[in-house]
Amino acid sequence: MPDAPPVTIAERGTRASILESVARVAFVAHCLLNQNAKVDGGARCPGVYSPLVDVLRERGWELQQMPCPELAFTGLNRFWAVREQLDTLAFRRHCARIAQAVAAAIEAHVARGDDVVIVGLEGSPSMGVRVTSSDPARGGRPEWPDGAPELTAGRGIMVEELLSELERRGVPKPRAGGITHVLPDHDPAAERAQLVALLDGG
Amino acid sequence: MEGDERSFRVALVAAELVNPRRGGLDALAVLERNGWGVMALPADWYPDAVAGPLLEQVAEQVDEFARHGYDVVLIGTRAGLDDALAKLGRTAPPALPQPGGAQELETFLHASATAAPR
Repeated sequence: MPDAPPVTIAERGTRASILESVARVAFVAHCLLNQNAKVDGGARCPGVYSPLVDVLRERGWELQQMPCPELAFTGLNRFWAVREQLDTLAFRRHCARIAQAVAAAIEAHVARGDDVVIVGLEGSPSMGVRVTSSDPARGGRPEWPDGAPELTAGRGIMVEELLSELERRGVPKPRAGGITHVLPDHDPAAERAQLVALLDGG
Repeated sequence: MEGDERSFRVALVAAELVNPRRGGLDALAVLERNGWGVMALPADWYPDAVAGPLLEQVAEQVDEFARHGYDVVLIGTRAGLDDALAKLGRTAPPALPQPGGAQELETFLHASATAAPR
């Protein structure tokens, strides 16, 4: 392989500063860095979901964390919920407020030329990107059986609000994908491959 | 919380410690290794109009963790965080403003971990 052409210190500094200033930034669902935010029974590890961080770090991506829309609204003692239970005007307003904050940050990164992706949580009623949970009949005393067929194609409410807010601001829609560790057919290797494809898709 | 692996330990972490420059302290790796959850604080370069609403969200979530007895600590510093917490009647959590290295951070984390509520 031939040597790179010689550059002056000034040129090298300029190139370095360009490389440093053009970052790759992943906006990740809150719980992927903090499993303590999960609904009771949902934490898959003590704190940080390592498989996500490992891939992002290996490929030189920065992390930014989105707030958890459910934590501050329905709290740590919330029940497991499907989309229909959360899809109220009040929860939409709450998500819209978070979406404005996150979209402003994404807009700031895009304005300086950064590559931005969104990493949500598949199966979540709030943070699902391609898979959410739905059951129009669910409500009342929680007696539904384990394994109820609630997973369905679609976005979570917070992701919908975020993409809507980005569109309103004229910010190009970032690439988006989701971690799959809560899905019953979770395959760690497939999850990693999908994440790599998302990151490398720019 | 049967089958739930949460640690009941949450660290607010300055952006430069979540995304360290080459040779800088990788606090995220230390926290991951020690089982702490992470709340990443807004990047320092964000304008106030961007950082402020994000800090409001951080404060609301800290309030919820604190109400339920989770351990909450602050690693590094972030302008505006104290004000956001004060608006909810909260003071800043125990802090390690300038961790000198991984060992110092681990010592701080071990000293800050109380019996986890169940």
